[in-house]
Amino acid sequence: MSAEKLSTLEDAAALVRDGDTVAIQNMATQAAPMALVRELIRQGRQDLGVVCLVGGISVDWLAAAGAMNRLIGAAVSMEQFGLCQRYRKAVEAGVIRVEELSETALNARLGAGARNLPFLPTRGLIGTDLIDVNDNLVMLDDPFGGPSVVACKALVPDVALVHAHKADRFGNIGYEPTALWPDLGIMPKAATTVIVTAEEIVDSEVLRANPDRTVLPGFMVDAVVEAPFGAHPTSFSPRYGYDTAMHLEWIGAARDDEAVAAFMEKYVTGPPDHAAYLETVGGAERQAALTNWEAS
Amino acid sequence: MSDWRNSPSAEDWTIDELMIARLADCFADGDQACNGMASFVPVSAFWLARLTHAPDLVWLAGAVGLEPRPDRVPASTLEAPLWRDSIMYVEQYGDFWNFALNGRWLTKFCVGAAQLDRYGNGNNSVIGADYHNPRVRLPGTAGLGDMGSIGKSLYYWNPNHNPRSLVEKVDFVSCAGYLGGGSERADAGLEGGPELVITNLCVMDFHPDTRHMQVASLHPSVTFEQVQEATGFELPAPEGPIPTTTVPTAEQVRLIRDVIDPDNMRRREFGG
Repeated sequence: MSAEKLSTLEDAAALVRDGDTVAIQNMATQAAPMALVRELIRQGRQDLGVVCLVGGISVDWLAAAGAMNRLIGAAVSMEQFGLCQRYRKAVEAGVIRVEELSETALNARLGAGARNLPFLPTRGLIGTDLIDVNDNLVMLDDPFGGPSVVACKALVPDVALVHAHKADRFGNIGYEPTALWPDLGIMPKAATTVIVTAEEIVDSEVLRANPDRTVLPGFMVDAVVEAPFGAHPTSFSPRYGYDTAMHLEWIGAARDDEAVAAFMEKYVTGPPDHAAYLETVGGAERQAALTNWEAS
Repeated sequence: MSDWRNSPSAEDWTIDELMIARLADCFADGDQACNGMASFVPVSAFWLARLTHAPDLVWLAGAVGLEPRPDRVPASTLEAPLWRDSIMYVEQYGDFWNFALNGRWLTKFCVGAAQLDRYGNGNNSVIGADYHNPRVRLPGTAGLGDMGSIGKSLYYWNPNHNPRSLVEKVDFVSCAGYLGGGSERADAGLEGGPELVITNLCVMDFHPDTRHMQVASLHPSVTFEQVQEATGFELPAPEGPIPTTTVPTAEQVRLIRDVIDPDNMRRREFGG
């Protein structure tokens, strides 16, 4: 008999404490666990360290809310919607400290964390200035006599936040055919606590029909929450595309403090829960339009 | 298969099409190419190569979707519409970096950088002298910090050739080029390195000994003086007449406009 992992967004987000290092699935405009990010902001979480491969609007909202003071990642960008302006402003003001890593260095830090190693090496970054400004990266002689490598210190995030297509109530996580980023491949395995939102909670028999699509086993998941359109306004292939209009509304607001406050109140802190958020952003009609992303 | 071999030079080409055609020249059958974010010029170049001289060029869209069949260049080069109908999703943590780090595959990489210096070092990290207190926070190195150090041939594309993007010395090295020039890169144990810089004004390469950037060809109607004025460091004086960059053919222009990128997404990279 497996343990029940089914939770509410409120209770799951409460597993994250002020000051935690939180690994967030995110790829520019893709697949971010936005319902959880909004709930963390609603609960007033502070001093978070965010770990991400390529942060997007999730990082910009956390920065706008004053919820984070450090970032560990390879890039932060909303690609076609430009740089994350609130994040950028906070970094330039000294509010957010950035540990910038290449992709292999981030993967190595998390991989070492997952496997309980002190470090893993990479051949990336040699010759760059990124090694000089980061105490977690050290040049290391190859004990077997080959060229030097970069030792990347183990990183164990306190929490990993992931969004998925399907989950059963025991925390087994199923993915539909789509791109698999390191966020899913390594972040949850390195983190102490794993919180997953899913488009739908399904019967375990649904997962058993395609066990090769089960990407995380229930024993390593601490809480699972049903959150349809939980990645909105980022995309979640193959179910829905990114919300262009909302990204544009955000970048329109992001340069002005009052406009940012109004935006955050309207979409993030104002709606009391995820259902209310979905209504605020246009309800079923908007969701149907985003579902038809192949036609866009 | 289009009749690209016998196509005459285009008469109404534009600069984006010229850059795409010249970048396409860098990729051949047997190569594997991948692209990252906001990479409309590289994506169009891979696609053009596949439709003309390199039908067996392997394309790994977004470093994730193998051999995709998008119906046109979409608004994002890092979203699912680009890797529509892929034959395989390459899992990024395990597989993509296994292939990229191995040395046998993905040996060429296209790089866009906010700053590029005379020795081909790239910067996408910070503007300003102090990394921890930057004047401008740039997006971050992403995969460039790896690709510069693992033996790849680097092809820089820069649609906005100006003294702010082509600088004497980058504020911060987030992609390793020839470091301080000469043998410095090799001395650091690094193979590969920058091959070409394709801009909206010219094509540049690197002197085999000094590793200093130099003009290889000027685009039609562009002078060396114009390029020098738009460049933040002194370019080596040409020893003789500088060749003119080959313009795209009529067929290449047709393919780019009608087949590859009918929505003109590539234009988004220009004028920034």
